Amino acid sequence: MPPIVSIENLFLGFGDVTLFDGLNCDVEPGSILAVVGANGSGKSTFVKTLLGLQSPMDGRIEWPVGKPAEIGYLAQLTEFDRRFPIRVRDLAAMGAWQGFNPFAGLNKTTRNRVDAALEMAGILDLADHPLHTLSGGQLQRALFSRVIMQDAPLILLDEPFSAVDQYTEQHLLSVIETWQSEGRAVIMVLHDLSAVLDHCTHALLLGNGRASFGTVDDILTPDRLIAQGYMSSSQASWMFRGQSNGGMR
Amino acid sequence: MFELTSEMFSYAFMRRAFVVTTILSASVAPVGAFLVLRRLSLAGEAMAHAITPGVVIGFVTAGLSVTSLLFGGLIAGLGVAVLTAYLARNTILRSDASLASLYLIALAIGIFILSAAGSAVPLKSFLFGSILGVDDASMILVGGVATVTLLTFALILRPLIMSTCDPVFFESQVKRPWIVDQGFMFLLVLNLLAAFKTLGTLMAVGLMILPATAARYWSGTITAQLGLGFIFSLLSCWLGLTLSYVLPETPSGPAIVLVAGAIFVLSALFGPLGLRGQFSATPKS
Repeated sequence: MPPIVSIENLFLGFGDVTLFDGLNCDVEPGSILAVVGANGSGKSTFVKTLLGLQSPMDGRIEWPVGKPAEIGYLAQLTEFDRRFPIRVRDLAAMGAWQGFNPFAGLNKTTRNRVDAALEMAGILDLADHPLHTLSGGQLQRALFSRVIMQDAPLILLDEPFSAVDQYTEQHLLSVIETWQSEGRAVIMVLHDLSAVLDHCTHALLLGNGRASFGTVDDILTPDRLIAQGYMSSSQASWMFRGQSNGGMR
Repeated sequence: MFELTSEMFSYAFMRRAFVVTTILSASVAPVGAFLVLRRLSLAGEAMAHAITPGVVIGFVTAGLSVTSLLFGGLIAGLGVAVLTAYLARNTILRSDASLASLYLIALAIGIFILSAAGSAVPLKSFLFGSILGVDDASMILVGGVATVTLLTFALILRPLIMSTCDPVFFESQVKRPWIVDQGFMFLLVLNLLAAFKTLGTLMAVGLMILPATAARYWSGTITAQLGLGFIFSLLSCWLGLTLSYVLPETPSGPAIVLVAGAIFVLSALFGPLGLRGQFSATPKS
């Protein structure tokens, strides 16, 4: 099966600053890629480049089966205006907005899809609540339901678990696993090394002008994390204490 | 009450004033709602000042006609809007600081030309409008602006809601997100010009912002916000015009905005999202 996105010799930066260069990777259907790196290593720039909001300095991003009209996208929670006067179900419906008739309401099929998406995200009971009444975790579930509505082959999640509790994280991980089983590819930017990495098939480590891509076990080793400026050697020896294989798991 | 209304409507200028402000309400209400929701309430006020030089130059060169007002105001307003977006995108200044700088320059140019042109310029009507002397051309202007505004809103409502609620997501979904932003600024300038003739430069934004902020205290959905904003706007115009008729010598523009202000205060006091307290600025944990 061809990859959903194929990246060749990608060079990202701005002005005289090089974030990283020489990245080659294929994101296969059914894979979950964790993007990890210190602040300023290029995680957000990588996401913007995939979304087409920023041009690479060099290299190519190819879409072997055609670039999807939409890429499922979840931005960081901090960038969202939670005082906006819409209900949870309207937020979810935004995910399918490009197919809407501007002069008509939502048809029955779309309304049913919205209900199904809210149920999958575990907030169907909050469907008619305004956004400002939601907790951080509930809002993240609502935003996940919008990504579900996008029905995209590639899903980009920017720090999806940074403001949610453990129970919500577990539920949202089950949604991501459903996407994986449906053959979608998921790319997650992660701020911390956490148990979430257990669910990832691949990792992309950014830092110190380099980009390392491979399986989680191959990439997130103490040596690489130290070499690419993600953590100090004392932090690494504490985090990986008692592990004989040197990797995260 | 019946006698008052029948006496008031026996005057053609009052009938015209009621018709033109009714149409104006339908047009400015959605613009005001999105100004508030896009956190551009003060930018609306700034844009009202930014159109001044265009209107003044139009007046000095071609007289106080609807055409000169429309073209002069549109050029000045859109010029400031485009330059603001350009500076915000390409320099360290954010859009609020860029807009503040440019509108102050525009306002100074306007006042400078206005003063240099001498006493021939009706300063009071520039500041407070002349709602009681609305001519056919002004009515056509307001009607035309309302038609363009409502049709455009029908077309871009969903993208506008998305770009307001979650601009980062919206940018990731469309190739040219700036079309919606600039399209909205175009509608803002157009409506300021429609309101400018009738309410004046000082009061034009009042009819946009106050009904919208008052409506926000009552509404949990965008539909309710738009509908209630229109009703409050209409109520302000009708009661304000009546007040201005009952109390001679009181200008109609400030009377309308004062009524809108009273509705705002009552909404803040009694609206479910106001001081009565169902809303908390910090989210639940």
